[in-house]
Amino acid sequence: MYYVVSLAILLTMILALVRALLGPSVYDRVLAVNLFGTKTVLLVSVVAFLYGRPDFLDLALAYALINFIGVLAVLNFFQNSERNMAKGPAENRKEAG
Amino acid sequence: MTVLFGIFLLTLLVIVAIGVVRAENLFVAVMLTGIFSLLMAANFFILDAADVALTEAAIGAGISTVLLLGALALTPGQERRLRGGRWLALGVVTLTTLSVLYATFDKPRLGDPEAPVHQHVAPWYLEKTPELVGIPNVVTAVLGTFRGYDTFGEVIVVLTAGIGVLFLLGLPGVVGERKREDLESGRTYLGHHLIPQVVGHLLIPFILLFALYVQFHGEYGPGGGFQAGAIFAAGFILYALIAGEREALAIVSPRLLVTLMASGALLYGGLGVLCMLLGGSFLDYSVLASDPVAGQQWGIIIIELGVGVSVAGVLLAIYHAFAARGH
Repeated sequence: MYYVVSLAILLTMILALVRALLGPSVYDRVLAVNLFGTKTVLLVSVVAFLYGRPDFLDLALAYALINFIGVLAVLNFFQNSERNMAKGPAENRKEAG
Repeated sequence: MTVLFGIFLLTLLVIVAIGVVRAENLFVAVMLTGIFSLLMAANFFILDAADVALTEAAIGAGISTVLLLGALALTPGQERRLRGGRWLALGVVTLTTLSVLYATFDKPRLGDPEAPVHQHVAPWYLEKTPELVGIPNVVTAVLGTFRGYDTFGEVIVVLTAGIGVLFLLGLPGVVGERKREDLESGRTYLGHHLIPQVVGHLLIPFILLFALYVQFHGEYGPGGGFQAGAIFAAGFILYALIAGEREALAIVSPRLLVTLMASGALLYGGLGVLCMLLGGSFLDYSVLASDPVAGQQWGIIIIELGVGVSVAGVLLAIYHAFAARGH
């Protein structure tokens, strides 16, 4: 059972990775990275049970918490570059759209 | 199964690495670096190196992404095209790759008990940890006491890196001319977004609690000072993101941050000197209590605390140094 689940998660990781690599917009990539983080959390939890080491779920918890902070940092970054668009260097958004 | 996972994750790792190199938009490169770190952490986890995986996830995927974004806010978003030199770089990379590939031919199989790495000091550590230190997590025992000098060196390196960054970027109120009052001039935060506000405020206590758990549970499970320090810093960075720089620096002032940076390393080194005063050698914790095993455990708890305080202080100070410059 765990094998099937972990294979499915690995497949989803590939799909997320394809989106992150191809884009086309910056927001696709942000979402793909977020998805990839979530899948890593799932993979770690499943593998923890697969290896019979459920105490390693600590790691999954840490990943989940850190992911959330990463996403907020990305959002804050976009907000800043949006505000600074008028006065300066924020070509990051050139690709967006 | 481990081999299958390993092949899969390492293949993805190579693909992502090529993606990072090829990305010309630096924001895309930062995002892909985040994925690279997550894959790396998953790899460590598959190889049963839970402590390293926790460090990689907390520092590589979490704090590094935040710091890279902070740096990106100060730079143009596109990679500048370099003229010439590309073939030289490609040649160097190809040569390195080929020699590393050549080196793998002599590498022992994964998990081979006859491999040199399992014949050297590792069996001694595994055998002696229950007797000399008496804690279940051998990684913490190696890191804290058997290799205490190396860990002390790492803490000093972290401290030095922090001092270097602060000298380059300045920290308002401590280094550089900027005053703390100048903050927020043009720097936004997520203050008026309801959902991050509510979820963030709910999560912060749990993040700090989890950091404490990782700090003090390192003797029994994956964790320890480095990871806990990073998670602590992540909790305060979250606060800075949702409440603003000024609020965050009002709670943990820059002066306090610099004090934390130094005091963690001082605690570690001071304990070593204390051991010498009590008649042992530098960082030999056996003399700290009447029972040598209990002394070792006390020593590990204290130095892990020093590591955690120092790492948290350095990471948070670097974050604020970047955030305060953004405009």
